[in-house]
Amino acid sequence: MTIKILFVIISGFGGGLAVGAGFVAFLTVLGLIPRLTQLTKTKKLIHWYEWAVIFGAIAGTAGGLNFPVFYFPSFFAIPIGLASGMFVGMLAAALTEVLNVLPILAKRVYVEDRIIALLMAIVFGKVFGSLFQWVYFVDYR
Amino acid sequence: MRLFCIFAYALGEPIIHTRKPMLDVIVMDKTIYIRMRNRTEVDPKTSVTVKDIAQIICDEGMRTKLESLNVHKVTSKDKNIIVIDVMKVIRLISNVFPGADVQAIGPPQTIIEVIFKKRAMSFALFIMTWILLFIGAALTVMNFHEDVSMQSVQEKLFTMITGKRVEKPLLFQIPYSIGLGLGMVLFFNHVFKKRLNEEPSPLEVEMFNYQQSLDQYVAMHQNKESVKHLDDN
Repeated sequence: MTIKILFVIISGFGGGLAVGAGFVAFLTVLGLIPRLTQLTKTKKLIHWYEWAVIFGAIAGTAGGLNFPVFYFPSFFAIPIGLASGMFVGMLAAALTEVLNVLPILAKRVYVEDRIIALLMAIVFGKVFGSLFQWVYFVDYR
Repeated sequence: MRLFCIFAYALGEPIIHTRKPMLDVIVMDKTIYIRMRNRTEVDPKTSVTVKDIAQIICDEGMRTKLESLNVHKVTSKDKNIIVIDVMKVIRLISNVFPGADVQAIGPPQTIIEVIFKKRAMSFALFIMTWILLFIGAALTVMNFHEDVSMQSVQEKLFTMITGKRVEKPLLFQIPYSIGLGLGMVLFFNHVFKKRLNEEPSPLEVEMFNYQQSLDQYVAMHQNKESVKHLDDN
């Protein structure tokens, strides 16, 4: 019995360790946090951002497992939705596909001076696709 | 000896003079510092001079002659990229100014881009690219949401926050969609560029890296001297 429990604890801990390390590695590769410190000029506070990510990951895990319900008024969903959208948007922007495709594409179609317009096409496309999915697409399953 | 000198100085009679120049001859300094430019653009059918492709520090006496030396004549046989190696320039300079000490600094070659005609950007092509990117971005984000079951996560999250159970938590999802665009713009920092700071955005850095790689490739492959094969002599 004790050995069983011990084995479960060790395997759970090991799984968490691997997933946590993978998550942090993913964030590091994308360079999201350095970019945010660069934008806000808070390079000295980067350790606090690390802890924010760690506590966020732990809160997400705990919330997913225990499912607490808070009964806040509905508009509480707005800032949380906005923040999660911004985070996903930054992830999407940081993905190297976007960063690598744009320079090549801009050179191919000779629009190096209008690269912002091409960038905006991607941005509007993401917003449109997301809105379209939530408002219409989810009804047609 | 040193002791003696100090002794002599103490007596007020310096023994070691700096030698007075006997003749006031202006010795022409023959050192030429040359630094190749990274890239330069020229019109077709022109002669490329040293001045076009390099920065030069040299004696004023030879400057005009040096700068107007012909390095290359652009003909219709040339394609739009010509690579000039610094060795060619040095050879040319030492032919004209024998005995000059040419010091090369910086990049070992210049990439000359011949601008044939300002390529008129096709507006239709641009619009097509725009639409392609728009639809592609919309599709990829929808696929991403399906892939990670975003809908059910958002439903659960909405229930967690408000205690209500809804099919379509639009109050969460619409701010999410707007935030998606806002986050991308913020990452590239094109909108608030002037206000936030002057550092280059990741996209500008990536553009620079791409151009740098292209230049490096061209410098290696168009420049016949930089690679030597077995069957070359």
